[in-house]
Amino acid sequence: MGVVHGDLMTLNIGPQHPSTHGVLRLKVKTDGEIISEVEPIIGYLHRCFEKHCENVSYEQVIPYTDRCDYIAAMNNNFGYAVTVEELMEIKVPERVEYIRVIVAELNRIASHLLALGAYGLDVGAFTPFLYMFRDRERILDLFETLCGARLLYNYIWVGGVSHDLPPGFIDAVYSFLDYFEPKIEEYNELLTYNKIFIERTGDVGVMPPEVAVSYGVTGPNLRGSGVKWDIRKDEPYSIYDKFDFNIPVGAGKMGTVGDCWDRYFVRMVEMKESVKITRQALKGIPAGDVHQTLPKKIRPPQGSIYKRTESPRGDLAYYIVSDGSPIPYRLKMRSPAFTALSVLGEISQGWMMSDVLVILGSLDIVLGEIDR
Amino acid sequence: MTVDQLINWLPFGTDWPVITFLTAVIICALPVFLFIAVYALVAIYGEVKISSFMADKVGPMGQGVGLHAGKWGLLQPVADALKLILKEDIIPSAADKKLFVMAPFVVFIGAFISFAALPFSQNTIIADMNIGIFYILAVGSLSVIGIILAGWSSNNKWSLYGGMRSVAQIVSYEIPAGLSIISIIMLTGTLSMQGINEFQQGTIWGILPNWIIFNNPFSFIAFFIFFISGVAECNRTPFDIPEAESELVAGAFTEYSGMRYAFFFLSEYAEMFVVSGVSVTAFLGGWNSPISGFFNSPGWGVFWFMGKTLSLVFVMIWFRWTFPRLRVDQLMSICWKVFLPFSLLNIFGVGIWILIAG
Amino acid sequence: MSKYFSNIFEAVSTLLTGMGITWRHMMNIRKDNVTLQYPEERWPRPERDIGFDFDNYNVIRSRLQVDIDDCIGCMKCERACPVQCIKIITTKSGAKGEDLPDINHTGVTSNGTKKALIVSRFDIDMTECCYCNLCTYPCPEECIYMTGGPNSHKHPIDYEFSQYDRNELIYKFAKDVDEEKLSKYFPRKKEAKA
Repeated sequence: MGVVHGDLMTLNIGPQHPSTHGVLRLKVKTDGEIISEVEPIIGYLHRCFEKHCENVSYEQVIPYTDRCDYIAAMNNNFGYAVTVEELMEIKVPERVEYIRVIVAELNRIASHLLALGAYGLDVGAFTPFLYMFRDRERILDLFETLCGARLLYNYIWVGGVSHDLPPGFIDAVYSFLDYFEPKIEEYNELLTYNKIFIERTGDVGVMPPEVAVSYGVTGPNLRGSGVKWDIRKDEPYSIYDKFDFNIPVGAGKMGTVGDCWDRYFVRMVEMKESVKITRQALKGIPAGDVHQTLPKKIRPPQGSIYKRTESPRGDLAYYIVSDGSPIPYRLKMRSPAFTALSVLGEISQGWMMSDVLVILGSLDIVLGEIDR
Repeated sequence: MTVDQLINWLPFGTDWPVITFLTAVIICALPVFLFIAVYALVAIYGEVKISSFMADKVGPMGQGVGLHAGKWGLLQPVADALKLILKEDIIPSAADKKLFVMAPFVVFIGAFISFAALPFSQNTIIADMNIGIFYILAVGSLSVIGIILAGWSSNNKWSLYGGMRSVAQIVSYEIPAGLSIISIIMLTGTLSMQGINEFQQGTIWGILPNWIIFNNPFSFIAFFIFFISGVAECNRTPFDIPEAESELVAGAFTEYSGMRYAFFFLSEYAEMFVVSGVSVTAFLGGWNSPISGFFNSPGWGVFWFMGKTLSLVFVMIWFRWTFPRLRVDQLMSICWKVFLPFSLLNIFGVGIWILIAG
Repeated sequence: MSKYFSNIFEAVSTLLTGMGITWRHMMNIRKDNVTLQYPEERWPRPERDIGFDFDNYNVIRSRLQVDIDDCIGCMKCERACPVQCIKIITTKSGAKGEDLPDINHTGVTSNGTKKALIVSRFDIDMTECCYCNLCTYPCPEECIYMTGGPNSHKHPIDYEFSQYDRNELIYKFAKDVDEEKLSKYFPRKKEAKA
C-alpha cells in the first residue's frame, strides 16, 4: 500500500516552432497534462546590438534600432530619436512631430494586426491570420511610398525625419483608414466573439494586477489586467498630449480580469484608438520644414538620460550615456517583451499543455527585442 | 451490382465457391479503391482551392498545362501524390517494426470497408445487407485500433500522447452518433441502407421532399448532432487537437513519412466521405431527388447521392478554415454534457412523435 | 440551467456568423484577390490598389549602384555606412581635372567637378549591406544610389540579383587598374579601414 510517486516530465518546446514568435526555447515540467513549471531559455537571436552601438555614431545607430523590434520599427526609431533630442535639448519642428505620430500610430496598427493574426494561428484559426496580413500589407505599401522600405525603415532621424511626405500621401492614409475601420468589426465577428475562441482564451492564463505590476509588465499586457497606465497619457512625450483618445482596459467580459481574452481585446480596441489619433493628426498637420538644422556631427553634451516611450508591446526605454564624442559611450534598450516573457512561468502554472502556446501568444513577444 | 449478383453471374459459381467469392469481392473492391484515390485527389484540390478563396487568395494557379501546376492548379494534387510516393520510407530504429508497418493499413481498412454499404443509387451498392447502417457504425471504429498502433509503435512520447487523445475523442463521439441513428431507425423501422432510402421517397404535403430531416423537429437536431460527431470522428478542425500542427508536435503520425503517411491522409478523406454519405442517406434522402417525381432514374440517383455527399464534404472543409480548435477537455465536455443529453432527448422525442403522429 | 442553454445558443449563433464571413469572402474572390502571380506579374504593378501613384515614391530601397565616372573619392559614403560594407581605395592623381586615358580615368564628373583622386577600388558587399540608404545622402555628386524608382532614369530597378556564389555579390565598381600604371602617380595611397 505504498504511495504512487510520480515524477514530473520535462518537455522541450524547441527553438524552432510553428508559431511566429521567433527562436525561443521553453522547458516545461508537467505532471500529466497539468503544467507545474515553465522556464524560457533565450539568447538564440542575440546580435550584440548594444555593443555595436558603442562603435557607430548617433545617426548610424538608427538602422540598428530598427532591427530590435522588427515588427514595430518606427516606434523604436521614435523612442531613440526622442531620447537623443532630449539629451541634446533640441526642439523639432511642429510638422515633424505630427508626421512622427502618424507614422508611429500606423505602425502600432500594423504590429497589433500581426500579433492578433498570429494569435489566431496559434489557436488554430487559419483565415483571420490571412485577413489581418492583407490589411497589414496596405500599411506597408503606404510606408513604401514614404521611405522606400516595408519593414525596417530608418525613417525617424535625430532632429527630424528623413523625407517629407510625398504628394498624395495624406489622401492615401485617409482612404486606408476608411477602408480599415469596418474591418475591425469583421475581425470581431469572425474571431473575437467566436464561442470556440472564447472557450479557448477566456479565463486562461489569468494575470492579476499585482503580479503584473510586481514583474514590471507594461503595455497591453498590463492594461488587460485592469491597470490603466499608458505612457502616452501619463508621461506624454512628443505631442501626444494634444490628442484625444481613450485607454482601453480589460474588464473581464468573457471570464476573469486579466485573462488572455482581455489582452487580445485590449489590442483590438487599441487599433481603433490609433485610427482616431491618426485622423486627428492628419487633420492638424501644419506645413513646414522636416529637418531641424543640426551640426554635421551630432555631439550631445556629456551626461546620461533614460526616457520611456510607448511601443505596441509596452514601455520601451532607452538609456544613453554620452561622453561628448559623436559616438555613444553606452546605450541600453529596455525591452518590454523581456518582462512580458518573464511572467510566463507565473501565469501558466496549473494550466494544461495546450494552453502554454495560447498564453505565450497573448503576451505578444518578439524575440528580436528580447535578445537584442 | 452487389456481390450477390456477381456471384450468381460468374460461370464457375457452384464448382469453386471460394474462388468465385474472392473474384467477386475483388471485382467489387477495385472500383472502390480507384474511386477513393480519385476522390482523394479531388478533395485535396478542393480543400486547397476553397481554403484559398476563403482567405482572399487564389491558391495554386498555372498558366497552362505543363507550366507550374497546370491550368488553375489542376496538377497540384497529382504533384502532391507523386511527392508522397517518392519520399524516403523512414522507420525509426527504436520503433516496433511490425506494428509500425501495420498501423496505416488497419486505419485504411476501417475506412475502406465502410464503402461496401454506401448506397450510391437504387441498384449500385456493393452489399445490400439488412443491417447496413449498423455495419458502418461498427466497422468505422476499426480505425481506432490503427491509431493506437501508430501512437504506440512510434516509440515517441508525444505520438503516444496524441494517439491516446485521438482515441478518446473518437470513441466518445461514437456514442452521440449512434444514438442519433437510433432515433431515425425508429422512424424507418429498418437498418438496411436501401430501406432507409426507400422510406424517404415521396413528399410531405406535396412540396417538401420526404426526407427524415424534415420529418419532425427532433430528427432535425439529430442531423446536426450526427454530422458534428462525424466531423469529430474524422479528426478535423475544430476537433483536430490530435493532429494539430501548431500544438507542439504532430501527434500520432509524427514518425510516418512518404507512402505510409499518404495512407493516413487517404483514410482521413475516405472517412470524411463515409460520414457524409451516411448522413446523406440517413437524413437527407440518399439517392432520392429533391424534386419528387422527376430525375428519379438510377443514373440520376448516383448524381444526387454524390452531389449531396460532396456538399457535406465542402461544409467540413468550410468548418476547418473558419474555426479555431477546441482543447481536449472542452471537446470531451461538449460530447458528454451537450451532445449526449440531446441525443437521448431525441430518441425520447421521436418515440413520442411516432406515437402521436401515427 | 438557463446558462447552459444560452451557452449553446450563443455558440451556434457566433459560429454561424463566422461561417457567413468566410462564405462572403469566398464568393467575392474575383474582386478581392490579392495574389501577385510572380514571375509573370512583377512588382511594381501600377494598378495595385494603394490609392497612390507609384511615380510619386520618395525614395526606394533596392540594389546599390555607383556611377564610377562621377565618383570623386571623398569617401563620405564609406564613413556613413553603419555596417562598413563599402571599401574604397584612392590614389592622388597628379593632374587634377585631366583625363588619364591609359587608366580609363575621366578628369571631370558629369556635374562639372574636377576630380583630384583616382579610385582604384570601390567594393560594396551586398551581403552585408543593410539597405538603410545612409550612404546615398552624403554623396556630393549623387553617384551612389539605389536603382529604380526615382532613380529609374539612371538605372532601371534591380531587385532580383541573387547569385549562386557569395563572392559574386561583392560588387566591384572601380575600373580595373594596373598597379604599375597607377604607381606612376603619387605613391601616397589612402587606405580603407580594414
